[in-house]
Amino acid sequence: MTAYKFLRRGRVGAFSGFAWPVGEWVEAEPHVCASGIHACRPADLPYWLDAELWEIELDGAVAAERKLVAPRGRLVRRVEAWDGGTARAFADSCAEATAALGDAPEHAADAAADAAAGRAATAAFVAARAAELVRGRRGYEDERARQASWLADRLGLAV
Amino acid sequence: VRLEDDLTCAELVELVTDYHEGALEARDRQRFEEHVVFCDGCASYLDGMRRTIEVTGRLTVDDVLPELERELVAAFRGWRSS
Repeated sequence: MTAYKFLRRGRVGAFSGFAWPVGEWVEAEPHVCASGIHACRPADLPYWLDAELWEIELDGAVAAERKLVAPRGRLVRRVEAWDGGTARAFADSCAEATAALGDAPEHAADAAADAAAGRAATAAFVAARAAELVRGRRGYEDERARQASWLADRLGLAV
Repeated sequence: VRLEDDLTCAELVELVTDYHEGALEARDRQRFEEHVVFCDGCASYLDGMRRTIEVTGRLTVDDVLPELERELVAAFRGWRSS
């Protein structure tokens, strides 16, 4: 199946430190959050933002909370549309969503500051937390869903 | 209001050793890593810990200078008695 994977600059895994090759199958015993090949469905993307986004082919993937885990995977291509400009636009959308809540001005200021500083993941988290404060747990989930939809639409990802 | 599954920065610091040793439950490990994605401070802290482990993990007893060893022993004695 096709999925997506955020990596640090140079195709490095954020938590594993593994330098991913392109096109070669990588294998690891699949244990959620511990080992195996971890990747995202479009709905998972807002939780794992990083510098590079790659399309990854997974073999034998199973769904876990906010991620997929598989015993085998290989990077197929970089999603070039995810760059600094898109990350900033995404962060701006999170700041705007926070401001639109109306009842979370401090969070709106924080999200705007994070967006201005290029901290997309932080702006996304602040937006979701602010939505939770105003609308309850459902607000958190709805804001994360909005973020995922924004990313899938802007990056042209298969949903 | 705080999500039940949110970690604070202070909690993350408390868990960092368990994280490195693979001792966290899958759910806690997930919360830990989600926090690191959006928190630059904790990401830097985790990187620092990782580098420290990499460097000190290569040290042997012979690598520690006698003077430094005496200072460390004295410091820990003071810590234990305080």
